Amino acid sequence: MSELIQQALTTFEKSLDRRLLASLEVCARCGICAESCHVFAAEPEFRNAPAAKAEAVRRFYRRLHDPIGRLFPWWVGAKDLREADLEELAEIAFGACTLCRRCTMNCPMGVDTALIMRAARAMLTAVGKAPEMLVQLADAAIAREENLEFFREFYIDQIRELERELQEQTGDPEARIPVEKAGAEILYVALSGAHTILPAAILFHAVGADWTLSMFEAANYGYFLADIQRAKAIARRIVDEARRLGVKEIILAECGHAYTVLRWEAPNWFDDFPFRVRSIIEVAAEWIQQGRLPLDPSANPEPVTYHDSCNLGRNGGLLEEPRIILRAVVQDFREMTPNRAENFCCGGGAGLVAVPEWYEKRMRAGHRKVEQIRRTGAQIVAASCDNCRLQLGDLSDYYGMGVQVSGLMDLVVKAYLAARRMEMAVPTASVPVSA
Amino acid sequence: MSATALWGWMVLIALGISVGGVAWRLRGLLARPLRPDRSPARGSAWRGILYAFTMGMMPWAKESTRQHLLPYLRGVLFHVGIFATLASLAVSPWRLSLPAPLAVGGLVLTGIGAAGGVIGILMRIFDERLRALSHPDDYAAVALVTAWQAAGVAFWADPRWMAVFYGLSALTLVAIPVTKIRHCIYFFFSRFFFGLFYGRRAVLG
Ligand code: SF4
Ligand code: SF4
Repeated sequence: MSELIQQALTTFEKSLDRRLLASLEVCARCGICAESCHVFAAEPEFRNAPAAKAEAVRRFYRRLHDPIGRLFPWWVGAKDLREADLEELAEIAFGACTLCRRCTMNCPMGVDTALIMRAARAMLTAVGKAPEMLVQLADAAIAREENLEFFREFYIDQIRELERELQEQTGDPEARIPVEKAGAEILYVALSGAHTILPAAILFHAVGADWTLSMFEAANYGYFLADIQRAKAIARRIVDEARRLGVKEIILAECGHAYTVLRWEAPNWFDDFPFRVRSIIEVAAEWIQQGRLPLDPSANPEPVTYHDSCNLGRNGGLLEEPRIILRAVVQDFREMTPNRAENFCCGGGAGLVAVPEWYEKRMRAGHRKVEQIRRTGAQIVAASCDNCRLQLGDLSDYYGMGVQVSGLMDLVVKAYLAARRMEMAVPTASVPVSA
Repeated sequence: MSATALWGWMVLIALGISVGGVAWRLRGLLARPLRPDRSPARGSAWRGILYAFTMGMMPWAKESTRQHLLPYLRGVLFHVGIFATLASLAVSPWRLSLPAPLAVGGLVLTGIGAAGGVIGILMRIFDERLRALSHPDDYAAVALVTAWQAAGVAFWADPRWMAVFYGLSALTLVAIPVTKIRHCIYFFFSRFFFGLFYGRRAVLG
């Protein structure tokens, strides 16, 4: 056995906990999960069926752990892992599975194919077979902390620019985007670019929240690599910052995988994790229900549909909050079918949008999503994950859908600013919106 | 000693081997780390687990089973037949003193299971997707269990088949931990983890 394979298998063994082992063993090879996968739905070839993808891992698992697989490998489809298999495995685990878990929902056995694919990703990353772009993005995020002094001044200058825009939009010359404010209640963690900072800043200003903006971005490419060390290092920057500032809550920008990482994974990685983590969509839904945001849905008159991000929805439980928001801020909200936990992945998740050479692959994988959107007749597709938004925008161009893609907070801000303009003309009290 | 009594002993020995094999499999599973989830739950883990084993198994609960309703129901009947055949084995020493309606019930249920098994084998042979997914072990396991259920039918129809039923029972029991049939051991864990995950996250349950 080569050193590379040895290293790959050592990493695999580390991933092999009870959940993974049960998923590897329990598959009855009934095949009914196939159509539930958007990759298979777009290209109904056997290799795209979830059970077929998982078989690439089960083959060497059986060779290692099943006595029959060791004695009579052909009988149970067991096979040694060879270096030549690693490239194919990378195509499957990184390129043909977005870890969306739609197949898990549809498997009578509860097989977690995403977990199996994550184990494959972990071993491929360990032996240098992960997509180079994902590795570079993860390492760049880690380097940002190491060179924070270098970035700080530049970043704060950019934020001051943005602050002027905030003051213009809110009409309040005192409006601020606080950075590194010790003792603030909320640490808001945005994504790279102003588009996730300004709308949140307007809303924080609207409700008078005590907040501060993180120096770091929420994205975590280490998680896509299934490399716990890298993922932890990236998450640690935010956790340390939250501790240093003494905040009570971390609020995340509209980002699917960042929510998975900080809401569901990070509390298992750090012994001291004394803050609540929420997505801005949970917070906005709460403010809307409490009547803290005056809103005018006529500011968003176009038909709007909502794409449930797999990380936030099916795997995060944020199924109703986006609907509370949309019913309050748009005039014509149309559900796509299926939706909520049964929604189809957009085809760009788990890092696919970041890998340029997989553009065609993800365009094909998004075909089911395109059909879903078209059936609604919506002009705007709202999505609360940046990766989904990128993918949906590309799908719209690729398939000539002509839809506009928007974040939820952009729609909230539009409705809020319109209501404020109205309030300034005729002062009225804001009315709570029920769920 | 009669052939039936001899095979009866063989079943007991096979049961011992099977229990040992299952225990060995369980030990392998439980030796692996559990990695408890310390993130604060949004929903109820127990409701999720309850859902996973009850409503979540209903044919209408999943898009896949709605789409593949007949194959799913076939699978359900096949497994009902397996439980009926196991029950038949448990009561077999008292076969002649059992009330007639029970014998009819046993015959019908094992018969349904065997029919489900035959259809399952044919599907695996003729359905391109299933063929691509299957290994020799898959065919052999379904064939063995189907033959066992068929022997159960014969046993209920005519107790003279008891020796054959016992022989196939012994083989099936021994096969549980080493063939595809072992998925029945992991099913409970896998569904438990499924329910736990989605229950905590307030997605199901
Ligand atoms: S993953 Fe589940 S649905 Fe798919 S073949 Fe295996 S047991 Fe059947
Ligand atoms: S996790 Fe999603 S992408 Fe991966 S196999 Fe399952 S349905 Fe397909």
